[in-house]
Amino acid sequence: MHEFRKARYGNIIFAILLTFSFVLIIGRATPYVSIIKDIVYYIAYPNIEVANKILHTPGRFADNIKSVVFLHQQNLIYKQKNQELEDKIRNCNIISKEYDNLSKLLNLEKIKNTKSIFARILAREPCEWYQWLIIDKGNNADIKKDLPVVIFNKSKNTLCVMGKILEVYKSSAKVALITNSICELPVEIKNKGVNCIAGGFDSNLLKIIYIPLDSDIKPGDEIVVSGLSSVFPKGIPVGVIREVMEGTYIDFKTATAEVYFESDVIYDAVVLAPCESV
Amino acid sequence: MKKFITYFLLYVIFCTLQFFLGKNLNIYGVFPNFILILIVYLGLTRGVVSAEIAGFLFGLTWDVFSTDIFGMRAVIFTITGYLTGIMNKHFNKNSLFTKIVIILSANLFYRFGFSFIYWVLPVSENGSSFFITVQIVFKVLITILITPVVFFILDHLTIFGQQEDI
Repeated sequence: MHEFRKARYGNIIFAILLTFSFVLIIGRATPYVSIIKDIVYYIAYPNIEVANKILHTPGRFADNIKSVVFLHQQNLIYKQKNQELEDKIRNCNIISKEYDNLSKLLNLEKIKNTKSIFARILAREPCEWYQWLIIDKGNNADIKKDLPVVIFNKSKNTLCVMGKILEVYKSSAKVALITNSICELPVEIKNKGVNCIAGGFDSNLLKIIYIPLDSDIKPGDEIVVSGLSSVFPKGIPVGVIREVMEGTYIDFKTATAEVYFESDVIYDAVVLAPCESV
Repeated sequence: MKKFITYFLLYVIFCTLQFFLGKNLNIYGVFPNFILILIVYLGLTRGVVSAEIAGFLFGLTWDVFSTDIFGMRAVIFTITGYLTGIMNKHFNKNSLFTKIVIILSANLFYRFGFSFIYWVLPVSENGSSFFITVQIVFKVLITILITPVVFFILDHLTIFGQQEDI
């Protein structure tokens, strides 16, 4: 038993000593030991040769520290440059995206007798989200009250109804959205020749009323501006039927429709002003 | 206490022999490895613990005095002390042949250990390979030749240290 304990004790000491020795080897302690040794030598036998050695060794050490500090500083500079480049790339991406959007807008088919005034959306009040927004063009850009405002829908690659100018200021204008409860718009069901009225009720949906009882309308049908509208040119897409309801009224059906302008993020709007030449 | 004094004396004597006398009394750089002989002796007579601790301390001391990789002799001597310590029951310690074979093996292990560590951790790009030269062969031979004498002296020196244990 005693022998066994002794052997185990010996093994543990062996492992500790061996680990310590390996740490010394891997730690490459030779230069530091060499400095200490030189200093001890110098204390024991002071001479110029040893003193020289002592002075040179810290010199090398100092050089190493200098190079580490230099590399660290360079690293910081490169990190900063890298950050700047990343910012530039981000800006480039944003500009590129904006450029694509504007290119698409410019390539759109011209609406008859109108000129397009491109405007940026400045503000949209969260508590009146579906009621109105502010654009950055006003009197100075020939914006007038009641002009139609459309938006470019990326998925459909066409202009869609958004609202109409409600108030005009010097360099901004307030747009009443078609989802606003004060707005009503004569619309028709595309390819079905059914005229009806779309009205907003301060949500992302439109309420479609006066749909004839005998009309074949189903969810998914597209609604466009009808020729009866005094504000919007005929045929501009408005939205898509979501639900058709019968029985609410005796003489016509009602439906709800999703508006196209809410299907994507909106940054820019297009005001359709009448052409002066006409 | 006597044991401690004996070990301390052995440490001082063998360090003096190896580092100071060895530097001045060598013949063409050939000088026996007294420290290796002492570690093997301690392993065969005192066991694992004494041999490995002595090996580590002597190795560390030698590393301080040498320009080689710091810690390599500590590793080699610790392993030598441990191996001789665990093998001491399997040999006839009084046989001259045993002593010679163990010292030869320890010498070879010491040389190959050096080569191996330099191979794993080369000091320079050219490498500080450790060659078996004629000088090294003579070193090993002279260490083997002097072993019986050192063992004899150590037997008598350590009697003083052993008396306390009885």
